[in-house]
Amino acid sequence: MISVSHLTRRFGSFAALDDISFEVNKGEVVGFLGPNGAGKTTTMRILTGYLPATSGAVAVAGFDVLRQSLEARRRIGYLPESVPLYRELRVEEMLAFQARLHSLERGEARRRIPAVLERVGLLDRSRDLVGTLSRGMRQRVGLALALLPEPEVLILDEPTSGLDPLQRLEVRAILRELAQKHTVLLSSHILPEIEAVCPRVIIVHKGRIAADGTPTQLVQQLSGGAFVRLEALVGADVEAAKRMLGGIEGVRVVRDLGRRGVHHEFELEAAVDVREDVGAIAKLKGWALRELSYRVPSLEQIFARIALGEEPQAARSEPVAQPPAGTVSPMPSVVPPASNALPVSQPAATRQIYSLNPFDRGASRDLSAPVNVDAPAKVDAPQRPNA
Amino acid sequence: MNGFTAIYRRELVGLFLGPLAWTLLCIALALQGVMLLFYLVGAQGDVDIALRFLLGDSFVFWVLCALVPPLLTMRMLSEESRSGLLEYLLTAPVTDLAVVCGKFGAALSFMAILWASVFAYALVLAACGAGIDWGIVCSSWIGATLCSGLFCGIGLLMSSLTTLPVLSAFAAVIANLVLMLLPLVARLVDWPILTGLVKWIDISSNLTSAFLYGVLDSAYVVFFVSWTALLVFLTTRSVEARRWS
Repeated sequence: MISVSHLTRRFGSFAALDDISFEVNKGEVVGFLGPNGAGKTTTMRILTGYLPATSGAVAVAGFDVLRQSLEARRRIGYLPESVPLYRELRVEEMLAFQARLHSLERGEARRRIPAVLERVGLLDRSRDLVGTLSRGMRQRVGLALALLPEPEVLILDEPTSGLDPLQRLEVRAILRELAQKHTVLLSSHILPEIEAVCPRVIIVHKGRIAADGTPTQLVQQLSGGAFVRLEALVGADVEAAKRMLGGIEGVRVVRDLGRRGVHHEFELEAAVDVREDVGAIAKLKGWALRELSYRVPSLEQIFARIALGEEPQAARSEPVAQPPAGTVSPMPSVVPPASNALPVSQPAATRQIYSLNPFDRGASRDLSAPVNVDAPAKVDAPQRPNA
Repeated sequence: MNGFTAIYRRELVGLFLGPLAWTLLCIALALQGVMLLFYLVGAQGDVDIALRFLLGDSFVFWVLCALVPPLLTMRMLSEESRSGLLEYLLTAPVTDLAVVCGKFGAALSFMAILWASVFAYALVLAACGAGIDWGIVCSSWIGATLCSGLFCGIGLLMSSLTTLPVLSAFAAVIANLVLMLLPLVARLVDWPILTGLVKWIDISSNLTSAFLYGVLDSAYVVFFVSWTALLVFLTTRSVEARRWS
C-alpha cells in the first residue's frame, strides 16, 4: 500500500530524512515512532504529497505521490498534527466541504457524514461551530475528515497529542477499530499507545530508520534477552561473587552496579531466566537476598536508548522503590555473616544506611543519632553517596 | 473543477461569516452613496456622468480599489499557511491552481457584489424618472469588476509571500498605489523608459477609455484578464514554492 524507497529530504544542508526505505502492506497498522525532530512529520508530509522528496521514490496505493499526485491523494486520509479546521464552520459543514473536495456524490456525502460522525462519537455535536469545540473534539473532527472519503490509506500524525487520558483511550479505541479495515500509518511519541494499537513499529531517529518490527521482536533484537537483577549481601569478595554469577549457564554479562547500603547490586544479562540458579548460589553462599528480579526491558527503554543516541542494549532496570517511611526497623539492623566482615570504607562514625525518604536511594547519616521515624526529613541528610 | 467550486464556495461563505466583509461592504456603500449625491449635483443632473464617476472616474473609486481587495485577500493564503489549513488543502485531491483560483474567485465575486450597488442606484434613479443607459451601467460594472480582479490578484500574490496577514495587506496596498500612481509620475518626469513601461500597465486609462462609455473593447478586456491571469499564475507558483522551502 505504501512503498518508500531511498527517500531523502533536505532542508538546505540539513537532512531531515536520510535514505529511508520501508513498505507497508495492505491492512497493516504501523506505528511511526521517534523523538521530536526525527523526521516523522516530514515523512508523512511527503507521503501525502505536501512536501516533495529531495530524492527517492514514494508510492501510495500504487501511485507515485509526485507524478500521480491527485490519484494518490484521493486514496489517502490525512490528519495533520495541527488538526487544521475552519473555525467558523459547523462540524457538518466542515465535513460537507471535505466531501466536495473529494468529489463525493451529494447523496453519498449525505449518507456518509452522519455515519462518520457516529463513528467518532460526534453525532450530537454536528451543529456546533468547530471553533467552540474542545481540543479533543476537534481532534475527532479531524479524524472524521480523514475517514470521510473512505480512503485506503490513513496517515495520522500524532492523533492523540494534546488529549487527556480519557480522550486518548477513546481515540485509541477508534484507531483499533479502524485498523481492521484500513492501512494505517500513525505517528506518536507516546509509546504505550503505539504498543497498544500497532502490531508493527518503525522507530526513526535523526532521519534514519533505527528499527522496524513488532514490539516483541524489537525488544528481543535490541535488548539481547532478559535481565536478572540481584541485590544481596555478598560479603567482602565482590569479585568472587561476580565470577560465580558469571559462571551460571546462559549468563552473558554480569554488571556490578555498586553498593546500595550494605547490599551489593548486580545485573545479569542472560538469554533465559536464571533466577533459580542465582537463588541456589545465594543459598549456598549464605547471601542475604534483598531482591532477585527478572525483567524484559520495555519498548520505552529501548526507545529512550535510541533517542539518546546510545547503543541499544542493557536496558538497566530502575531500582525498585525504597521502603516507605515508617517501616524502618529492619534496615540498619542487618548483620553481615560473621565469616566475611563487611568492608566499610566510610569513616567509622557514618555508615551508609537506607534513607527513610522513599525518593532517595540511600544516604549517609550519623549512626550515633537515633533514627527519627516521625520526622523522616531530618534523617535524610543531604549528602548522597553517589552525588 | 470540483475542487475549485468547493474552495470557491467555502471562501465566499467564509468571507461573509466574518465581520470584515460586512464592514467593508458597509463603509464602501455608504461612501459610494454619499459621493453619488455629490456627483449628481456636480454633473448638474446628468445621470450618465454621475454613474461614470461612481465606477471609475473618481478618486473614491480608486481608493476603494487600492484598499478593499488587499483587505479581502490578506488572510486567504498567509493565515492558512500558518494555521495549517493550507497543508490540509494542498493534501486534498485538488490542484494548487484550483486552490488559488477558488480563493481568487471568491475575492473577485465579493468585488463584483460591491460594485453591483450601481444597479441599485440606477434603479432608484430610473424610478425617479431619469433616463438610464443600461448598456453603460453594465459595461462600467464589468470594467470595474475586471479592474478590481487585477488588484485581487496582487493581494493574493502578496498573501502567498508572507505569513502575516497585516504585512501582506500593507504590501498589496503599496503595490496598488505604485501601479496607480505610475502613470502620473510618468507624465511628470517624462522619462522614455517609464513612459514605455506605463503603456503596458496603465490601469486607469484602460478602464476609463472604453468601459465607462459603454464599449466592451476586447483589447481592454484582454489587458485586465491577462494581467490577472499572470498574477494568479505567479501566486500558484509561489504556493507551490512553499512546498520546496
